[in-house]
Amino acid sequence: MVRFAIFALFSLWAIISGIGVITFTNPIYVILWLLSALIAVAGIFFTAGAELVGALQLLIYAVAIAVFYVFVLTAVPWEKAKKKASHYRMEGVVSLPLVILLYVEMAIVFLLGVSASPEGKFRAFIEKLGNTEVVGAILFSKYFFAFEVVSLVLLIGMIGAVMIGRKESQTYEDDTT
Amino acid sequence: MKTIPLEAFLTVSMILFGLGVIGLIARRNLVTVLMSLELALNAVNIAFVGADAHLGLVEGQIFALFIIALAAAEAAVGLGIIIAIFRYRFVESTDEITDMRG
Repeated sequence: MVRFAIFALFSLWAIISGIGVITFTNPIYVILWLLSALIAVAGIFFTAGAELVGALQLLIYAVAIAVFYVFVLTAVPWEKAKKKASHYRMEGVVSLPLVILLYVEMAIVFLLGVSASPEGKFRAFIEKLGNTEVVGAILFSKYFFAFEVVSLVLLIGMIGAVMIGRKESQTYEDDTT
Repeated sequence: MKTIPLEAFLTVSMILFGLGVIGLIARRNLVTVLMSLELALNAVNIAFVGADAHLGLVEGQIFALFIIALAAAEAAVGLGIIIAIFRYRFVESTDEITDMRG
């Protein structure tokens, strides 16, 4: 019961932070709300018993990626941008029925899936070894190829980000305006 | 370990994913669009980990780790593209990038 109370607290925190992410207009406030949501999601992972994923969520998401966003927001001179009147687009209002339809579809799929899913028990060796050891053992045996592919994707992403973001020696004429 | 029902995890995941989709559609600033995408990815992670605790497996946590790694790569490439667009065009809005007549 205490576990469910803590889960409800973190869930409420995450949902309030998510509403803050989509309502605030200043990007700095948005990244602060997103940081709050990421920490709350890490708390949800801890209450679910996935301590490795929660710790990596804190380390990678809430530290590395959030700091990366803050760095981009502060290092780029956004005040040189051509300003628009509104921060939101009208398509958001127009597409609201589609979003509600998406909600209804997700609810149906999730509830049907819950009613059909088997009520599994924790395997004996998970309880004996602990969660993190089992995750590591299966990650490095059954999903080892996928792990290597993810490392390759990270390398390609790093090279691509450097190539895209560097300053070119010659600039091209903007003939679209 | 069974004190939290699976429906609670899936409800939280559904609400957060819907908020992320609304942010993706309704936002105009490019960086905040990417932040909404991160919120949607986190919602998927909650669904994975919750299903894991319900079924008694660890595969969902492994896929959550893969999603975290791919989100890092996506943030790096996406922010690089945004910086490149800003350097050439001085725009920060999704409505002004109309080179493909979209």
